[in-house]
Amino acid sequence: MNLSRRDFLRLAGLVASSAALSACTAVYDRVAPLTEETTGLPPLAPRDFAALNRMTFGPSAEERERARRIGLQAWVEEQLAFDSIDDGALDLRLRGYKTLWQDADTLHSFSDLLFDDEDRATVPNELREAALMRQLFSRRQLYESVVEFWSDHFNITTEKGDCFYLKTVDDREVIRPHALGSFRDLLWASAHSPAMLTYLDNQDNRAGTPNENYARELLELHTLGVDGGYSQSDVMELARCLTGWTVKEHFWRGQFTFNPDWHDKGIKNVLGMKIKPNGQTEAEQVVEHLAVHPQTARFVVTKLARRFLGEESADLIERGVQVFLKTNGDISSVLRVVLLDGLTSDRSITPKFKRPVHFVTSALRQLNAQVNDFGPHLETLARLGQLPFNWATPDGYPDRAEAWQGNLLPRWQFAFALVRGETNGTTLDLSAFVQSSDPAAIADALALVLLGAPLPAAQRDSILSAMSDADTQTELPALLTAGILASPAFQWR
Amino acid sequence: MVTTITRREFIKSAPLVASALTLPAWMPRLAFAPAQSAPRGDTLVVVFLRGAADMLNVIVPHGETAYYAARPTLGIPRPDDNRAKSDLRAVDLDGFFGLHPSLHPLMDSWQAAQLAIVHACGAPDESRSHFRAMELMERGVDDERGPASGWIGRHLATLDTGNLSPLRAIGLGALTPRSLTGTVPATALRSITDFHLRGDPRAIAHMRATLDALYTEGDSLNTIGRETIGILDTLQALNPDDYQPSASAQYPDSDFGMSLRQVAMLIKAEVGLEVAAIDLGGWDTHFAQGSSEGLMANLLADLGAGLAAFHADMRDHADKLTVVVMSEFGRRTYENGSLGTDHGHGSAMFLMGGNVIGGKVHGQWPGLAEGQLIGPGDLAVTTDYRDVLAEVCLKRLNNPAIGEIFPDYQPQIKDILRA
Repeated sequence: MNLSRRDFLRLAGLVASSAALSACTAVYDRVAPLTEETTGLPPLAPRDFAALNRMTFGPSAEERERARRIGLQAWVEEQLAFDSIDDGALDLRLRGYKTLWQDADTLHSFSDLLFDDEDRATVPNELREAALMRQLFSRRQLYESVVEFWSDHFNITTEKGDCFYLKTVDDREVIRPHALGSFRDLLWASAHSPAMLTYLDNQDNRAGTPNENYARELLELHTLGVDGGYSQSDVMELARCLTGWTVKEHFWRGQFTFNPDWHDKGIKNVLGMKIKPNGQTEAEQVVEHLAVHPQTARFVVTKLARRFLGEESADLIERGVQVFLKTNGDISSVLRVVLLDGLTSDRSITPKFKRPVHFVTSALRQLNAQVNDFGPHLETLARLGQLPFNWATPDGYPDRAEAWQGNLLPRWQFAFALVRGETNGTTLDLSAFVQSSDPAAIADALALVLLGAPLPAAQRDSILSAMSDADTQTELPALLTAGILASPAFQWR
Repeated sequence: MVTTITRREFIKSAPLVASALTLPAWMPRLAFAPAQSAPRGDTLVVVFLRGAADMLNVIVPHGETAYYAARPTLGIPRPDDNRAKSDLRAVDLDGFFGLHPSLHPLMDSWQAAQLAIVHACGAPDESRSHFRAMELMERGVDDERGPASGWIGRHLATLDTGNLSPLRAIGLGALTPRSLTGTVPATALRSITDFHLRGDPRAIAHMRATLDALYTEGDSLNTIGRETIGILDTLQALNPDDYQPSASAQYPDSDFGMSLRQVAMLIKAEVGLEVAAIDLGGWDTHFAQGSSEGLMANLLADLGAGLAAFHADMRDHADKLTVVVMSEFGRRTYENGSLGTDHGHGSAMFLMGGNVIGGKVHGQWPGLAEGQLIGPGDLAVTTDYRDVLAEVCLKRLNNPAIGEIFPDYQPQIKDILRA
């Protein structure tokens, strides 16, 4: 027997929107009586579950409980004030990664092996493991979600040249300090980031025959957007302003520096502004202009809405743009509007396909997995095509469902390996979620943990019939968990 | 025993399921266009060079003095330039154009007239943005208002070849290229061995039964899920380790070589492969791209060795095979100050196969002299890339629905292929 499309839509609709709830009363009726006693989890409206799923790497029991207790709006405010959320346990775990806090010069010496060889693996591996550890175990879940957003927006791959160690500095000094701060400061820091200048070839941008790479992406991907109204001439003139912006190669290797000998001393015209010859400050003047440009506001707010809401509602973006301009690009204020209007109002929530990182983290977080080895999960992410800091082109990992949907097999393999205990260094305790020996009740409880709602009866029965020979004590909860993780419903957030 | 819905049954029921009334707006639509029926044509392999390959250094116009003036450091020496070592010079094709020396393995297919080049080829878009250019090119449209699906996706959707294989279209890699997007699901396949389920037979049986119960019918995700299950079944018996390429073809030990090797294997195993899309990245050479040797020469060595091995391996299948190599745009004619090249305009395409009118550089060469270049100093486009792809669809894929594949364009057939 197979799940009918109607049942699937019921479930999707349920997770998707409160507006759809009235049309799905049959399912909703079954949500209500499930209580903390029957599931071990506090009851949470499916819509709030969906909202939490957008602002976390998968809602853990702690976030569910907190959001239920103080309400979603207060939860958003609490998360925006991330500095006051204690993250001591995570900080302690992160201490194992020594390279996270080292400066570029030290990182380079560390990687420099004898006989002219380089260790190009240790530093980026620690950075990737730390990123995954933070996504899984930070209590500042919204902050980490925004860090991921900016890591895509200002994408840098560790695979290009010295970026293998410079990205660690960029992550620490550019992305993380400004992720919920001022966009102007973030852009400024990124423009002066040795990793960015290396990644986009500005470290060798010299007068006479400028290199356009960084100048173009600064306009196209970081600020105005491809339709933002700049021309090829603006790209070339901005590239001239950026001549001489480079990275030290010997003493203080990996530090930003301005080389006046490489700088084009002529007058430039960028976006209708006449830029007088003034060394390093010429490009800085353009960065200041771009940081608060209305087109930048629109581009950034639209991308935030797409990431967190999965849609680009015109009126919401308009409000976000107004806040961006009024606050000179205060990211926290902009995000507050997007999240409160988009996720905590009665607006319906458009389902969004989970990218691989979210698929893996939400499975591990919602199941309260103990992870002591991040390597196997990074391998899964590599097979799924989303190893952190490994996207080659400056547009960042795609945010479209179609790019990811064709690659389901590694998701299934992850799910079944996880429940069979075949993932080295990761353990699950499913008994914490299973208080009954009735197969249907076990299925309901696990679905509530993973999907925020029990499965529609037809789908539940269909899955159970595929497992009819499994033993109820251990095998069935494991198989049901894998089945739900592998199901179409769990691929959406 | 769990019953498995066959693909044929699924397709039959799909139009019913896909009625607009039952679909919420967010779900990818399954709009089944009335399909043309025709026997399937060639297997199409599309290699996309991501990052805008510098085609002026790939198919070198060594007869142009302007080329050498614009590229004092990066230019590839003339085939008769005695100052350069012979293996660092362009390999002459026709007295005017030559191949980059790293591509010398392609000379076999060139001499067999199974390799054609279309130079000064590309798209009208002049944004010089990788992401805009790739998106428009893979969708086969002039601007964002065109259909969101990919041109290959629309080719598949508009032609009923009677082929119900779940492997009808695949993308080699972890992500599915935009060009394959559409109503016919395309699966991402990194390696055939990924699809071999190993371990406890009872555990595998549970996994298979569970997946069968979960992925049923309806939206694109469910469809892809069913396709993936179908591929699991199809590929169980195929072991890449046992594969012996014909004519002792040597695939390079690279992702690209692996991809082509697996495509060859799938074609020979007759599992219904119609289109394979392969991405090859690293072509955005703003910095230190090198000349006859260096960064780009290494990329080209991989490309050349891979295509040459594929050509040799597929010798007996050449009549039913077309390979297209393309990139989003070309690079600036003059080199920049960091021994690289910036974004340009006109590019080039390669076509390889038994019915290519090969051994010839097609297209009208616009020249590289002052006044012949466009924009900041870029090669002009004299052949729209859709002219080439439309001819492939018409003559080699048996698909006459060109108006649907390239909706806002009237292609001109340039006779690069035999029907």
